[in-house]
Amino acid sequence: MTEALAAFLEATVRTATPLALAALGESVTERAGVINIGLEGAIMAGAFGALVGAGVAGGAAGAGLGFVVGALAGLAASALFALFAVGLRADQIITGTAVTLASLGLTGTLYRSIYGETGASLATPTTAPLAVPGLSALPVVGRALFAQPPATYALYLLVPALAWWTFRTHAGLALRAVGERPDAAAAAGIRPRRVQLAATLFGGALGGLAGATLVLAQAGTFAEGMSAGRGFIAIAVVVLGRWHPVGVAAAALLFGAASALQYLFQAMGWRLPYQLFLALPYLLTLVVLASVSARAAAPAALGKRDA
Amino acid sequence: MRLQLDGVVKRFGPVRALDGASLDVRGGSLHAVLGENGAGKTTLMRVAFGLLQPDAGTVRLDGTPRRLASPADAIAAGVGMVHQHFTIVPAMTVAENVALGGRGRYDARAAAEVVRRVGAQTGLALDPAARAADLPVAAQQRLEIVKALARDARLLILDEPAAVLTPAEARELLTWLRRFVDGGATAVLITHKLRDALAFADDVTVLRRGRTVATSPAAATDEAALTAHLLGEAGVDTAAVDTAGVATAGVGRAHYAVATPAPSTPAVTTPAVSARGLSYVDARGVTRLRDATFEVRTGELLGVVGVEGSGQHELLRLLAGRLVPSGGALDLPARVAWIPEDRHRDALLLDGTLVENLALRGAGAHRGLLPWPRLARRARALVDRFDVRAGATGVRLPARALSGGNQQKFVVARELAGDADAAPPELVVAENPTRGLDVRATAAVLARLREARAAGAAVVFYSSDLDEVLALADRVLVVYDGRVRPTPAERDAVGRAMLGAA
Repeated sequence: MTEALAAFLEATVRTATPLALAALGESVTERAGVINIGLEGAIMAGAFGALVGAGVAGGAAGAGLGFVVGALAGLAASALFALFAVGLRADQIITGTAVTLASLGLTGTLYRSIYGETGASLATPTTAPLAVPGLSALPVVGRALFAQPPATYALYLLVPALAWWTFRTHAGLALRAVGERPDAAAAAGIRPRRVQLAATLFGGALGGLAGATLVLAQAGTFAEGMSAGRGFIAIAVVVLGRWHPVGVAAAALLFGAASALQYLFQAMGWRLPYQLFLALPYLLTLVVLASVSARAAAPAALGKRDA
Repeated sequence: MRLQLDGVVKRFGPVRALDGASLDVRGGSLHAVLGENGAGKTTLMRVAFGLLQPDAGTVRLDGTPRRLASPADAIAAGVGMVHQHFTIVPAMTVAENVALGGRGRYDARAAAEVVRRVGAQTGLALDPAARAADLPVAAQQRLEIVKALARDARLLILDEPAAVLTPAEARELLTWLRRFVDGGATAVLITHKLRDALAFADDVTVLRRGRTVATSPAAATDEAALTAHLLGEAGVDTAAVDTAGVATAGVGRAHYAVATPAPSTPAVTTPAVSARGLSYVDARGVTRLRDATFEVRTGELLGVVGVEGSGQHELLRLLAGRLVPSGGALDLPARVAWIPEDRHRDALLLDGTLVENLALRGAGAHRGLLPWPRLARRARALVDRFDVRAGATGVRLPARALSGGNQQKFVVARELAGDADAAPPELVVAENPTRGLDVRATAAVLARLREARAAGAAVVFYSSDLDEVLALADRVLVVYDGRVRPTPAERDAVGRAMLGAA
């Protein structure tokens, strides 16, 4: 029983990691009043970038390079989004959808043309879980929290850093003001579009890291469409987490738990169709978007064009 | 700090908002800038604050030519601006709003200290931890000023600061501003009110159609001279026609009180509206209106007054059918015209054309297709008849492109005569319909309300300008703490009733 619970918690944190990365990035983007539906595309671009980057070097250096290239690929995808949605003031939802579809198509095409129809990339270097001596031996939560890939540990630093930055720096103040009242921010000498551009690129880079995590720390390989809607789930995570870094991380854990339930149920020997478990995070997404009163906490200018 | 603007030209497409305007604000003086809606006052100040780049002309601060590419440049140079439409972030605290635009680490405690320090130095006290959205309007305005002063503004530009305030608050603000300038600062006050300009400013400059038409020490001019400059030669004639019946054409609304408007005694007196024991409880459970019993008769103009938050806004919205009574009985006629206070929020689609905005009247009431050509003809007829200055492209222009006065004239036109098929409205509810309007637009709007009364409508008219109500109303209803009380239309009696005195 304890063992099953420990495995469940470990799976929870593992599946929550890419979600948390993507959602933290998106929360910064949305704080600036930009809703980047193209996040899914940034994750896909990041996954493919990670595959390419890791393949170039191989080994541990390859994995490191994979993360860098993944982040850059996610950044590039969001730069395309920002060009239209921030620079040209195109509709954010339509632009984001276009970027997602383009990224899914482009990564699939490149994958086939580089690696062939069969997909000869099973030798992708991965980052193995790194057990922290001592802490990882803690009962129940030890392996969940302290025997994870480095990407998870990065989150332990990122969440408090982001919270500090958002609420304890003038840059964070400017970010929030732009998302609430761009004209007020402009009157205070802030340049709203620059802030929105930077926030969108940051969100895209974190989305790229999320994709890289999928390839380098979880699947160990690339598959077309492997983001499987995580970008959209991350947007729901942001809402549930009320745009606060700590809240977003907690919400990501909840979604991770929903995904990990299948392991727990299998371990307990309960037999239910596995499709039900696969559907669970998506159902949760619908419930969150429909019911959470968090919308009241949303940046007032979110998604508006006339900033 | 001295501010000199010379030969400033600013074009928006084909429109010349500024056509060689100049302004010289002496260091240590309070300089009033007067002009009608659309004269270019705000545009000129936006140039001085770096929000707009002039197409021609120079900006000099203390004699040095400056290129202010953004508000950040202006702020760095010591210029602060209090905008007519507030630029605070409602979701943030007072301290956060004041700190906005800084660099490096944000220390909430240090920011709160700045708010307290500026408050102590200037007498503009604010709670640093309060959420800006929760502040009353007058405190939000103090916040705007504190924001500028916290960044060491030596020149303060205030755009129509009195427009959103009650008369008492406005006086308080102007008295503060006078002291602030006497303490060595420099300020520019944009205003419609000649009396305020003459009473508080050292110098006065008048803009008309993007040009500076007069500038002089306040002591060397008077209301008559300023009015002539404001309206121009042709303007005086138009105003005289517009305000026929309102005794003092075009000299500022304060003058209505001096005149005797002699409201016509309505011949027919059937009640158009009757309220018995009417009450309203808002969504938060606060009782806004209690046990109100009154009638409004056809051909009668009922003035409503009350200090802010007394329940008059709820009363007007109940009469306009925009709120549902919580208790009591309310009989309303079928055709009600509604002129809300905030035309941007409640009356117009700013990005919609005038034709589309006209189509909103009764939208949903007719099934089927919209007769656009007919609506366009109708819009053109209204624009002509109600003297809405919509420029060359006319009714295809988005409402946003019109000046505030013309927007309001259009709203009034739509509400009073918008539906060609139906008879004119039986009840007209107007909430502060002259807010933010210049002399001429004010006169035009008030004249329309009198016309509606003459045509047999019941008119309910609320204004935060007491003199305006007294000049126009047949009867006055004072709202105080959610209770309505019929009051003789005399200044003293109404003034006392507004404050809850017996």
